[in-house]
Amino acid sequence: MNKFTSSTTFRSTTFALSFGYIVFGIVALVLFAAPLWYAWDVTVEDGRAEILHADTQRLADVFHREGAIGLKTFIDARVGMQLPAERILLLADSSLHRISGNLPVWPRTVPAQPGLYTVILDLGGVPTQSVVMRTVLPGGYNLLVGRDVAKFAPLTRHFWTGLGGAVVVLSIAGVLGGVLIRRAILARIHSIRQTVLAIVQGDLSHRLPSRSSGDELDTLSHTINGMLDQIEQLINGIRNVSNSIAHDLRTPLAELRSRLEELSLTRPNTEETFAEIDGAVADVDRVIRIFNALLRLAEIDTGMRRSGFVQVNANELAAEVVEFYSPAAEVKDVRLSFNSNGPILVSGDPTLLAQAVGNLIDNALKYAGEQGLVTVEVQHRADNLVEISVADGGPGIPDTEKPKVTQRFYRGDTSRGTPGVGLGLSLVQAVAKLHGGTLELTDNNPGLRARMVIEPGALVSGRPRIVTGPKSESSQTKSEPKTVAL
Amino acid sequence: MKLLLVEDNERVTRFVVKGLQEAGHTVDNADNGREGMFLAASEPYDVIIMDRMLPGQVDGLSIIETLRKSGNRTPILILSALSDVDERIKGLKSGGDDYLTKPFAFGELLARLDALSRRSQGSGTQTVLEVGDLRIDLLSRKAVRGERSIALQPREFKLLEYLMRHAGQVVTRTMLLENVWDYHFDPQTNVVDVHISKLRQKIDADFERPLLRTVRNAGYMLTSE
Repeated sequence: MNKFTSSTTFRSTTFALSFGYIVFGIVALVLFAAPLWYAWDVTVEDGRAEILHADTQRLADVFHREGAIGLKTFIDARVGMQLPAERILLLADSSLHRISGNLPVWPRTVPAQPGLYTVILDLGGVPTQSVVMRTVLPGGYNLLVGRDVAKFAPLTRHFWTGLGGAVVVLSIAGVLGGVLIRRAILARIHSIRQTVLAIVQGDLSHRLPSRSSGDELDTLSHTINGMLDQIEQLINGIRNVSNSIAHDLRTPLAELRSRLEELSLTRPNTEETFAEIDGAVADVDRVIRIFNALLRLAEIDTGMRRSGFVQVNANELAAEVVEFYSPAAEVKDVRLSFNSNGPILVSGDPTLLAQAVGNLIDNALKYAGEQGLVTVEVQHRADNLVEISVADGGPGIPDTEKPKVTQRFYRGDTSRGTPGVGLGLSLVQAVAKLHGGTLELTDNNPGLRARMVIEPGALVSGRPRIVTGPKSESSQTKSEPKTVAL
Repeated sequence: MKLLLVEDNERVTRFVVKGLQEAGHTVDNADNGREGMFLAASEPYDVIIMDRMLPGQVDGLSIIETLRKSGNRTPILILSALSDVDERIKGLKSGGDDYLTKPFAFGELLARLDALSRRSQGSGTQTVLEVGDLRIDLLSRKAVRGERSIALQPREFKLLEYLMRHAGQVVTRTMLLENVWDYHFDPQTNVVDVHISKLRQKIDADFERPLLRTVRNAGYMLTSE
């Protein structure tokens, strides 16, 4: 839709750009030429005046030494030596009658006062621009010494012609360069446009062409390609998740549907109907539970919960979760032990951290087996990270499956038949990531050791928030997410 | 109790009104913000149940804010499909007393309404709570049933205290999680049930009349009746 506008805008920008360059070039040329011209002009003129002065002086000396006759002889000799045509030499008496020199008469264009003048002289019938110096010698003799400067006129003309030529060449080169650059840039932008259009139409596998020349457009292409990689990855992630959601929600929904349909078809007695309805409610609760878990994951992924970070004692928090789960461990005949290392302060979301630790313990209890042992440990590691580890002596997870178990909805073969929706470890990982850390799964020989490693966080960067604001408020008023019918 | 339900979804309204009436409450209902605002401001209610997104330009939160500004202290339970933490905090900051996310179990709603009305009556500065022949002293943290003293862990004491404060009312697992442990998440397994059965071992096992009952599809109730 903005095909037209964008290309017009582009055209106008390239033209404005090349026009600007041309104007700039001309201005620069003029700025360069003007002082040159000025310097040349002044130097030449000064030099010329000096020469005329020197000539006049020399002739005046002859006059003083040898009188008018001597000077006449001197000038005659000079003229007789055929001095260069551009030289003008004339001696006249007080009534301006020619005595000697290479002009036939005293030119009338020369002002009456002695001095340096630029005048038009008639040289051999051709009016010529000349610079002359008029001097009055004792006895009323007039001396005119000058130079025909018409010889320099072509030089001046050449200068200006050269300058004009340069301007023309510059303009042509500018326009040509502008067109060429525009064509080159347009070609690359066109290819970028084509690629982006293909991507907009839904084929995310396209990438912008890059020439590895490292220029600006190439850098831009690289950046955009990086962005596309990220987007593709995210979209694939979403696709995987939505496939899993479809699968995991479909199962309870299918059960629910068949349950209700069967009820509607068979119309059993009241008691049986009620039992089926209770079952249906349980099915719905399962769906809601999956939804809640997904929503919470989404909430964590967006990083919004970071605004609710407070100072938390990780050790105490873990101890409380252990205490919370210990009756459940007793029932399963699993020993749940907790190794404490004194208070360890971290900046975090207490609810999420507790839930993550709870998920790890819950998981460990599931797999520890009868008379098993589950060990929970919190430690401040040497690398300044805080590690909360939960180890069990169960069957463990094969190395090939380890990266998969944190994927959403993934359930290992060993977990089939155990309750859960396959989001527990995903949540732990998301919580760890939110707290600037990771979830590491290692072998406990036998069993699994899950280490949630987090950064102590904002404590270092100052502004630790104390657990008074959001937490106390939420605890008084029950603000936090809840699930229906556990 | 006299209750007001401000909710625009017909089916939810029918379900909630019917259930509350069966539980012996009187229920008024409004299906838009303006009417809800009018009823809430003009009639005395024990608890108001307020949906957040309502037709008629007036949304639930602005009704609550207006009521609170005009000095109305009626407990308000917000019922909403908006479940983000931020949304909850917004709801509670505007003056709501409790927040229940849709979809919800009716038992959960009923239990929370009971808890809210009880809170507004104010159980005051009692230091001893009694249910039947079970007695706990909040100062010395001691529990006695009949003649026999019962040894309780601190958390068990807190659990029992909460149950006794809400004696005769259904208390859901979520309410226990939130109020006894301050946990606002789904612990996946039935950990609360295990805690309850441990407590039950201690207070009911050797006695003829059990006090701690399980209410099907809802939660637990401590009662001497």
